Amino acid sequence: MRRAIGLLSLALVALSPWAPAQAQAPKEVVIGILYPLSGPVAQVGIDSVNAVKMAVEIINNGGSTLNLPLGKTAGLPGLGGAKIRLVIVDHQGKPDVGQAEAERLITQEKVHALYGAYFSSVTATASQVAERYGMPYLNAESSSPGLTERGFKWFFRTSPHDGHFSVAMFDFMKDLEKRRGVKIKTLGIMHEDTLFGVDSAKVQEELAKKYGYEVVIKMAYRAKTTSLDAEVGKLKAANPDVFLPTSYTSDAFIFVKTAKNLDYNPKMLMAQNAGWTDPSFLTEMGKDAEGHITRAPFALDMADKKPMIKPINELFKKLKDNPGGRDISDVPARAFTGFIVLADAINRAKSVNPEEIRKALAATNMPPEQLIMPWSGVKFDEKGQNTGVRAILQQVQKGKYATIYPFELAAADVVYPLTPWKDRK
Amino acid sequence: MTAEVLLQGIVSGLLMGFVYALIAAGLSLIFGLMEIVNFAHGEFLMLAMFSTYWAWALWRLDPVVSLPLTAAALFLLGFATYHGLIRWVLGAPMLAQIFATFGLAIFLRSAAQAIWGVDFHLVKDPLVQGRISLGGIFIGLPQLVASVGALLAFVFLNWFISRTETGLALQATAQDRQAASLMGINTERMFALGWGIGAACVGVAGALLTIFFYVFPDVGSTFALLAYVTVALGGFGNVPGTLVAGVVVGLIEVLGGLLIAPALKYVAVFVLYLLVVLWRPQGLFGRF
Amino acid sequence: MDSSTVGHAKWPRRLTFTAGLVALALLLAFPLVFTLPYPRDVMIRIFLYAMLATAWNVLAGYCGQISLGHAVFFGTGAYTSTVLVKTLGLTPWAGMLAGAALAVALSQVIGYPVLRLRGHYFAIATIAVGEIVQTLMINWDWVGGARGLFIPIDRTGSLLAFQFRDKQVYYYIALGLLLLALWVTRRIERSRTGYYFRAIREDQDAAASLGIPVARYKQRAMAVSAALTALGGTFYAQYILFIDPESVLPLSLSILICLIAVLGGVGTLWGPLIGAAILVPLGEATRIYLGGTGKAIDLLIYGFLIMVISVIQPGGIMALAQRGRRRTG
Repeated sequence: MRRAIGLLSLALVALSPWAPAQAQAPKEVVIGILYPLSGPVAQVGIDSVNAVKMAVEIINNGGSTLNLPLGKTAGLPGLGGAKIRLVIVDHQGKPDVGQAEAERLITQEKVHALYGAYFSSVTATASQVAERYGMPYLNAESSSPGLTERGFKWFFRTSPHDGHFSVAMFDFMKDLEKRRGVKIKTLGIMHEDTLFGVDSAKVQEELAKKYGYEVVIKMAYRAKTTSLDAEVGKLKAANPDVFLPTSYTSDAFIFVKTAKNLDYNPKMLMAQNAGWTDPSFLTEMGKDAEGHITRAPFALDMADKKPMIKPINELFKKLKDNPGGRDISDVPARAFTGFIVLADAINRAKSVNPEEIRKALAATNMPPEQLIMPWSGVKFDEKGQNTGVRAILQQVQKGKYATIYPFELAAADVVYPLTPWKDRK
Repeated sequence: MTAEVLLQGIVSGLLMGFVYALIAAGLSLIFGLMEIVNFAHGEFLMLAMFSTYWAWALWRLDPVVSLPLTAAALFLLGFATYHGLIRWVLGAPMLAQIFATFGLAIFLRSAAQAIWGVDFHLVKDPLVQGRISLGGIFIGLPQLVASVGALLAFVFLNWFISRTETGLALQATAQDRQAASLMGINTERMFALGWGIGAACVGVAGALLTIFFYVFPDVGSTFALLAYVTVALGGFGNVPGTLVAGVVVGLIEVLGGLLIAPALKYVAVFVLYLLVVLWRPQGLFGRF
Repeated sequence: MDSSTVGHAKWPRRLTFTAGLVALALLLAFPLVFTLPYPRDVMIRIFLYAMLATAWNVLAGYCGQISLGHAVFFGTGAYTSTVLVKTLGLTPWAGMLAGAALAVALSQVIGYPVLRLRGHYFAIATIAVGEIVQTLMINWDWVGGARGLFIPIDRTGSLLAFQFRDKQVYYYIALGLLLLALWVTRRIERSRTGYYFRAIREDQDAAASLGIPVARYKQRAMAVSAALTALGGTFYAQYILFIDPESVLPLSLSILICLIAVLGGVGTLWGPLIGAAILVPLGEATRIYLGGTGKAIDLLIYGFLIMVISVIQPGGIMALAQRGRRRTG
C-alpha cells in the first residue's frame, strides 16, 4: 500500500523529487545552496556556486597549505572527518521560488544549513522559511540593510550592506577634500529601480544630508532600458561634482556609452559595485571604464597585504566550470568567504543540530589572516551582521581595479578629477 | 531644462527612433502578410547581434562589413522558422500562433544562454566611432550610421514591396490569399519569403545596433516590447507607418524622460500608444 | 459544442459525476497522505495557477478577448489586502473581497477603452496597460515601491489572520478558490451570458447584428475574470508573505497564465486545470533536475515543448481528449 501511494504521488506530481527521507548519514553535512542560475544575472550565480564548490573541495580533500580554517584536515574534524555535500538549486530570481525551495531543502533534502541567495528579495523570503523551521541561514552577498534589521535569530550575514558601503564613499569624499584640498559640494544620484537601486539611493541621500553635501539630482530609471539619453541629458544639465550611479551590468554598459557619446564629464564617478565590478565590465569596456571608482568588498590587488588572495585566485581560475579562466571577482569572493565561515561554525558545533550550529555561528571570531577579504575579521552582532566588515573603494587605473581607499590599504593614488572624454586617447 | 538639453534630447530620440522603426519593420511586414505576430522577434534581434558580435570576435569583421552576412543569416532563420514552425500553425487559432512563437522565443533565448553563456559582450573599436558636435549638440557617429542605415533599409524595403514583381506578389498575397493563389502566385513561397525578409530587416537592425549596444541573451526582450507597441502604433502591416511610429516612440521616450521623469519614460510611451489606438483603433496608418 | 449538451445517454453523465466525486475525495485526502510541505506546495501552486488560468479563460477562452495583462488584477488583489492589513489591520479575508471589488472597478476603467480594440491590438494594449501599472507601482513609495511589502507575521493561528503554520490549511483554501472559479465558469458556460460570450468570440459583428450588446458583455466577462484573478492575488500574498511589483505584476506572469490555459485548452471548463497540472510540475521538475547547471537547459526544453504542443495540438490537451471521446463514442 505504501508503495502504491508512493507511485501515485509520482504520477500526481510528475517527476518532482521527493526522495524518501534518507537516514541521517553521520559522515555527511548537507548544505542547501540557493543562487540565480538562469536569466540576466545567471553568471554571478554560476561564479558564486563555483566559489562555494572550491571551498568544499578544499575542506573535503584537506592537505591545503593555505591559512584557512579546515584547510589542512580532510573533512570536518569536529564531526569525525565528515564531508560536506551541497544541494544546489536555481531560484530564478523569484522570491516565491526561493521560498518553496528553502522549504523543500529543509524538509526533503534534509539540509543542515541554508546558504545564498544573492538577490535581497529572495534572501528575504528564503530566510523567513529558515527562521520558521529554526534552520541556520548564512548570507554572504545580499546588500539590502533591512535584512539584518528583522530581529531574526537564525539569520547571519558576513558581507557589508549598502549602509557600510555608502559610508565608505562619503568618508572618502571628506578625506579627499582634506587631503587634496579639492572642493566637493554637489552630488547626483542615479539608480536603477529595483530593490538594490532604491535602497542604495535612499542611504546615499540620507548620508548626503549628514555629511553636508547637496543632492542636486536624484533619479530612478527602468533597469531594463534601451537608452539612457534622457537621463544623461538631465545629469549634464544638473552637473553635480560627484556622480553616484547604482546600476546592474546592462545599464552600466549603456550609461558609459551614452556618457561618452553626449560628452558627460563628472569630476568623479563613484558606483555601487554590481555592474561596475561585473567581470565583463572591464574586459568589454576597455579604456572607457578608466578612472571610474566603485565600491568593492574585495580586491585582487591587495595580494601583498593578503597573501592568500593569489593562490585562491589561481585555484579559482583553474576550476573546470570556469572555462574562461576568469579571475575571482567580488561576489564569488564573498561567497567563498561566507561558506568557509559557515563550515567553520559547523565544525566547531561538533554536531549538525541546528541550535548548536546557530550558537557556533553566533560565537564566530575569525581573525583577518584567515580571510581573503579586507576585513578586520568575522564576528556577528546580535542582529547577525558581521561587525568586522570594511568596504574599500577601487578605481579603474590602466585597465585594472586599483584599491584607493581606505588610504592605509591603498595600492594606488586616486586620479582626480576624471579625464574628460575629449582628452582621452 | 535648457533649450540645449531639449534639443539634444530630440536629436538622440530621433536617432534611436529610426533603429526602433527598423526593428519593428520586419514584424509589421510579417503581420501584414499573414496576420501573425512573431513574439520571438526580440530573439531574432538578439541572434542578429550575436552573429555580428561573433563575426567580429572570430574574424575581426566590423559590424558594418558583416552586415550583409548577418542579414543573410537572419533571412535563412526566418525562412526556416516559417517552414519549421509557422506553416504548421497557419490555420490554427490566434492563441496557438501566439504560443508557438512564445515557445520559440524561450527556446532561442535559452539556447543562446546554453551555447554562449551569460556574459555581456561589446564590439570594441568598431570602424565607426566617436561623435560630431554641432553647436553644442552631440551626434554619436555609430547612432548616426545606424539611423542612416535604418532609413536606407526602409527605402529599399519600400522599393522592393511596391516596385518589384516579387514585392507586388507579396502585396497581392497579403491582400487576398486565395485570389493571389488563383493568379498563379505560389502563396506558400510568398509566406516563406515574407518571413525571410522580415527577419533580414531585424538582421540589419541588429548589426547596426551592435556598433554601440551590448550583446546578451536577454537583450531582445528589452527591444521587443517597444517593437510591438511601435507596430501597433503605426498600424499592423503598414511599413511606412512603422517608420513614423518608431520615430514617435524614440522621441516620446526621451522627452518623457526629460520632461516627466526618467523612471516614467516608458509609461509615457505606453500611454501615448493607448491614446492613439483609442482614437484610431487600427493605429496611425493601419487598415482594418 | 460541449458534448454533455448533445443529449448523450444518461449514464456517461452519471459516470462523470462519480468520477468527479472520486477525484474530489482524492484531492481532499491528499494532504492527509502527503505530510511533507513540498508536495503540498506543488499542489497549492497547481490549484492557484489553475484558478488564475480559469479566471483568464472566462475572458479569453469564452469571450475571445486575449488579455496579456492579467497580472494587473492579480497584483490588485495582492496589494489591496496587504495594504489593508498593514494600515487598518483588516483581516485579509475582507481584504480579499475589497481586492476583488477594486479589480472589478479597475477592469471596467481599463476595459471601457481597451475592449473596443480587436485581436492583436487588444492583446498588445493589455501588455501596455500591464507595463504602465507595474512601472507606477515600482515608483509609488506609499505601497513599498520597488522594495515591496512584507506582511506582518501573525502566528496566532487564527483563521481570520489568514496565516497558517501548516500548509494543509492553505491547501484547502486554494482548492476552495479553484472550485469557486470552476463553479463560476460552469454557471456562465450554461447561461445565456455564456452563449453571448461565445457568440462574441466567434463573430463579434454577427453577434452585434443579432442584438447582443457586445460592449456590455465584454465588460461583464472582464469583470468576472478580474474579480477571480484578484482573489488569487490575495491568496498569493498571504501564502508568500512578501509581494513586490517584480513578483506580482510582471508580464511573465500574465503570459504564464495564458500559457497554462492554452496548453490545457481554452474555452473549456477543465482545460486550465489540466494545463496547470502538467505545466507546474513540469516546471518544478525541470528546474530541480536541470536548473542547477546554469545552462538554462530547463527553459530550453520548456520552450521546445510549447512549440511542439502548439503545432501538433493547437486546441490544447482538452481537444485531444474530446477527439478521443468522439472517436470512441
